[in-house]
Amino acid sequence: MARRLLCAAGITLAVFGLTACATMRVSSYVERGLDFSQYRTFDWGPADALPVGDPRLDQDRFFQDQVEGAIEKQMAARGFERSAASDVPDLRMHYHASINRRVEVREEDHSGNCRDDDACPARVIEYEAGTLVVDIVDARTNRLVWRGWAQDSVDGVLGNRDRLRRKIDEGVTRMFVGLPRAR
Amino acid sequence: MYRLTRIESLAAAALLALAFDSCAPVRINSYVVRGLDFQQYRTYAWGPSDAFSTGDPRLDNNRIVSERIAKSVDQQLASRGFEKRESGVADVLIHMHVRLDQRIESDAIDREYARCEVSDCRPYVYDAGTLLLDFIDTRTNQLAWRGWAEGGFDGVIDNQDWMEARIDDAVAKILARLPRDTSRNR
Repeated sequence: MARRLLCAAGITLAVFGLTACATMRVSSYVERGLDFSQYRTFDWGPADALPVGDPRLDQDRFFQDQVEGAIEKQMAARGFERSAASDVPDLRMHYHASINRRVEVREEDHSGNCRDDDACPARVIEYEAGTLVVDIVDARTNRLVWRGWAQDSVDGVLGNRDRLRRKIDEGVTRMFVGLPRAR
Repeated sequence: MYRLTRIESLAAAALLALAFDSCAPVRINSYVVRGLDFQQYRTYAWGPSDAFSTGDPRLDNNRIVSERIAKSVDQQLASRGFEKRESGVADVLIHMHVRLDQRIESDAIDREYARCEVSDCRPYVYDAGTLLLDFIDTRTNQLAWRGWAEGGFDGVIDNQDWMEARIDDAVAKILARLPRDTSRNR
């Protein structure tokens, strides 16, 4: 009995681990104590500061347009304005996408000799995780004042424009929930 | 009565196992150059930030995190009688390194706490973080002391409050191992 209960706890852990990896992980950090209402305008950082970080996304105008469009939409929704080309903005935006190999634990399908959860073997599988990091920098002090990110599996996403667009929209929308509003 | 106690202990073990998943215990290590009189150091400054990748894009060039670590170290060192130098030469230069990797535990928790049957044991994967602090003697340019903390960071990075609490805890535990007799500095 004792063994079964504790094994159940162990399996619960494995299941927690599985859900944590299988879903998109989104979060943001903000500089503590900073008065965000001092900011109103933003612009993109210099082009050379925007490396994409993976050859499959480099020079991909569709990807860049989707990311920049999603970010500009979220900034506008929080009261920020894109500054005129001749003006110095309050904030400069940067983003960086990268793809890393990660591993997660997956249960084998319930089939054959494996009738219940206890008997189903688990496998460690490797997958590709894409991370989109958005940095907002105070243009005057050049300090990072906010960073948001979204991380999810990109298996079957990079080659499918529709799915890529939906992932970008979801990630950007969710990470910007943590951005304070403009003045 | 015996049964209740048994269930209580089981619950405690299960909670412990849960705690392991989201915040594996922080392991602290340090070493000091043998024969070195650490009391000779009184002032410190921060060395240039390191150019190495942390292994995780969420933490690379993340100044919000590195400044939190620095602030936490500053507070701990002030309470131990060190004085921070913004300019001029200090006795020691401090460098910080942060590293994050995924680790795979085949069935360590199950084996340790549940003694599960082989077929029941599940591997699990977690993010492991290392925070390392180096104290470099500015006169000799040699490493005088190194302390580091390693622990699970699953779910912690995606929450700024938890991350900051974890940083403060790790820094306090690392610097508690400094070979320093604070009574001599009063």
